[in-house]
Amino acid sequence: MKKHEIRIETIISFCLAGIILFFSVGFFINKKVEFSVKENRYLEKFPTFSFQNLKNGSFTKDLESYLADHFSNRDFFMGFKTGFEKSLGKREINDVYLGKDGYFIEKYQLPLQNEKIINTFNTFAEKIENAEVSFMLIPTAISIYQEKLPPFVEDNRQMENFHYLSSEISGMIDVSEALLEKKEEFPLFYKLDHHWTTYGAYFAYQEFAKAKGFSAKGIEEYQVSVVSDDFKGTIYSKVNDYSVAGDEIVIFEMPNQKVEVNYQDSGEISDSFYEYSYLEKKDQYSFFLNNIHPFIDITSYDAKSEEEIVVIKDSFANCFVPFLAEHYKKIYVVDTRYYKDAISEFINQNKKIKDVLVLYNMNTIDSDLGVGGIY
Amino acid sequence: MVFSSIPFLFFFFPIFLIFYYIMPKRWKNYILLLFSLVFYAWGEPVYILLMIFASAVDYGNGLLMTKFGDTKKKRKIFLLFSVFINLSMLGFFKYADFFIETINQIGNLSIKPLGLGLPIGISFFTFQTMSYSIDLYKKEVEVEKNYFTYLTYVSMFPQLIAGPIVRFSTVREELHHREITRDGFSDGLLRFMQGLFKKVLIANNMGALWENIRGLSYETISVTTAWLGAISFTLQLYFDFSAYSDMAIGMGKMLGFHYLENFNYPLIAKSVTDFWRRWHISLSTWFRDYIYIPLGGNRVGIGKHLRNIAVVWFLTGLWHGAAWNFILWGVYYGILLTLEKYVWGKKLAKLPAFFQHIYAIWIVVFGFTIFVFDDMGKLGEYLTFLFGIAKNPIFGTEILYYLMNYGVLLIVAVLLSAPIYPWLQKKIEQIQTKRKKDVIKAICAVCYIALFLLTTAYLVGDTYNPFLYFRF
Repeated sequence: MKKHEIRIETIISFCLAGIILFFSVGFFINKKVEFSVKENRYLEKFPTFSFQNLKNGSFTKDLESYLADHFSNRDFFMGFKTGFEKSLGKREINDVYLGKDGYFIEKYQLPLQNEKIINTFNTFAEKIENAEVSFMLIPTAISIYQEKLPPFVEDNRQMENFHYLSSEISGMIDVSEALLEKKEEFPLFYKLDHHWTTYGAYFAYQEFAKAKGFSAKGIEEYQVSVVSDDFKGTIYSKVNDYSVAGDEIVIFEMPNQKVEVNYQDSGEISDSFYEYSYLEKKDQYSFFLNNIHPFIDITSYDAKSEEEIVVIKDSFANCFVPFLAEHYKKIYVVDTRYYKDAISEFINQNKKIKDVLVLYNMNTIDSDLGVGGIY
Repeated sequence: MVFSSIPFLFFFFPIFLIFYYIMPKRWKNYILLLFSLVFYAWGEPVYILLMIFASAVDYGNGLLMTKFGDTKKKRKIFLLFSVFINLSMLGFFKYADFFIETINQIGNLSIKPLGLGLPIGISFFTFQTMSYSIDLYKKEVEVEKNYFTYLTYVSMFPQLIAGPIVRFSTVREELHHREITRDGFSDGLLRFMQGLFKKVLIANNMGALWENIRGLSYETISVTTAWLGAISFTLQLYFDFSAYSDMAIGMGKMLGFHYLENFNYPLIAKSVTDFWRRWHISLSTWFRDYIYIPLGGNRVGIGKHLRNIAVVWFLTGLWHGAAWNFILWGVYYGILLTLEKYVWGKKLAKLPAFFQHIYAIWIVVFGFTIFVFDDMGKLGEYLTFLFGIAKNPIFGTEILYYLMNYGVLLIVAVLLSAPIYPWLQKKIEQIQTKRKKDVIKAICAVCYIALFLLTTAYLVGDTYNPFLYFRF
């Protein structure tokens, strides 16, 4: 090799050093955002310094997360990684299966709280004096859309646990058969979000009506409309695959139905189950019943009866509740993560309440903090 | 702080290097020392005092040994003192709870464990400081008069937390006079990058595969999948550990230090003896030079030789962690090495190379299965999966899923555990025409940059990135 020739190692190493400096300087220049829209979460804040934090190592740990969270072009890198992994043949990213036909399906974690859940539910049902208590546990996409899982994946554990819980909890309304039956005809779950669609909720409502002995409204009686076609929900945020198209959000509306929805914590009163401003945001599912509220009091002026119902629930119920308006004068929707009193007392004091529905999805019931608040 | 992380790669290391390069020569050691202390304190804000204390003892002890140790006998007193301090520290922080638990089990007692956290890298730095005292005793190295220089040696961040075990004699010269060159920077950075890619792209992915498989129960794990798991862990450990050595050697070069190689493609070994000449070389030579040979090595009667092997391999196992599986793993190798030496070594060497490789790799993979489970119950359970004793099927479709997800990386990992890279380098050097050479250079540059961006993407994505040596 001639003397004046520059070594390739020199060229490459200077390029790499340049890239490193580009990003480290970029970090300081870039404006820091607080919230990541793509990932749907708050990014780490600069940690507060104290001697205690330094000593137990939490300061340096938080500082590391801060540096990673505010790294420049973070979104690009996340997408780049997902693209690479997909091209290698990976069908699983961040505990999400990249299933067939564009279905992203969350993995099921082994349940740890079964006995606690059974005990809480059964004890609660015994406490209620005048109303009839029913439970609905909703199997999620991993059970309903088994055939959409990647090749060679078999996972029946959620369904097995569903059957176990069903056998131990009295007053269970089984929606699994109905969902399995309709899954070909209608999209029952979003492809990019962990919730069920309004179709899923509708067929569960049919089962609920059957169990309660009233006749459900037919699908043709509703005005079905698409309110969004670019819904990229929670699972999308876990995978960061920017190449996929968003889901449609569909709603079922009863013509000329008059309701008053009273969000007691914030004092807002609305004449609709839906909050359209959420459709402009990332978190579009919050469109149903205006995201999270501890206690919602709904009056349905055209209801066919004077009866009242209490729904204790997770977010799966938010698109389910509108179906009840035809049948109950009043619907009280309770989120026990934030409602801190004994809901059984409220029910027992209010003699008009004829039904209580406890509705949770199977995938998060095990870790749901609201379950402990049902008493 | 680990090397394969955003804070280290984009902040700590560049800032350090800038200071290190612009400061005049006589300050460079102090810059290196200062940053090394910050580096260690980052993860161990309390135990840093321990490291400073340990090096102060060995430094002072070294001075005294030189001053008063005119005879071997006198020097021995100082040596024993140093060994005693180092081993007590190691024993207290690393082995005390293991000892207490064992006593509790044997005697059916309930002494409360101390519950101390293990100071990161303690096994590496105590072995480094001991090597200094032993070499001084043997008069094989010169005494260090400047405490800060000695502390710089012990705390130097490139090899502080995951090796290699660098002896004082290797770097003494360079601690005082070293040359920092552009080629050192370039070659060192590229070596570091190779290590980084190995760690983030290969080792972490193999680790993720292993985590998937080890979580399976007997209903869902077939014998073939269990072996795939053992292989994936072997690949994870090799790529992870050797990557740390690559990164350390690379950074050393950038700073003007030349560390010895620590791995030499161990997975292509043809025998167990061969494997240990290639795996974690700085540790096996440490045990050889400071324990095995002083005990008489193999130049003694067969009885004593067997004892020497037993001692060395018991200790080697124990060094890797305070748990029975590590001891078992060491003893496993002690027995196999003895058998190779006295029973089938010569016959083995006559077999076709292919069979020798199969024999060695099988022993290594099985060995790492013992290594990975520090819970003996879990180890026993996994062994039943490996041999189908748990009545699990020989073959299940789940393995196809793992191969679909990780097949490409598995092939890359297997290929890179053989010396493909040096072979390619040689081929490229042989190319004569300038045009061809330029094309290949351009391809190399693109590859490095692409791999670096990909690695960054993995680090930013905050994916699975474990540090495996917290038990060492």
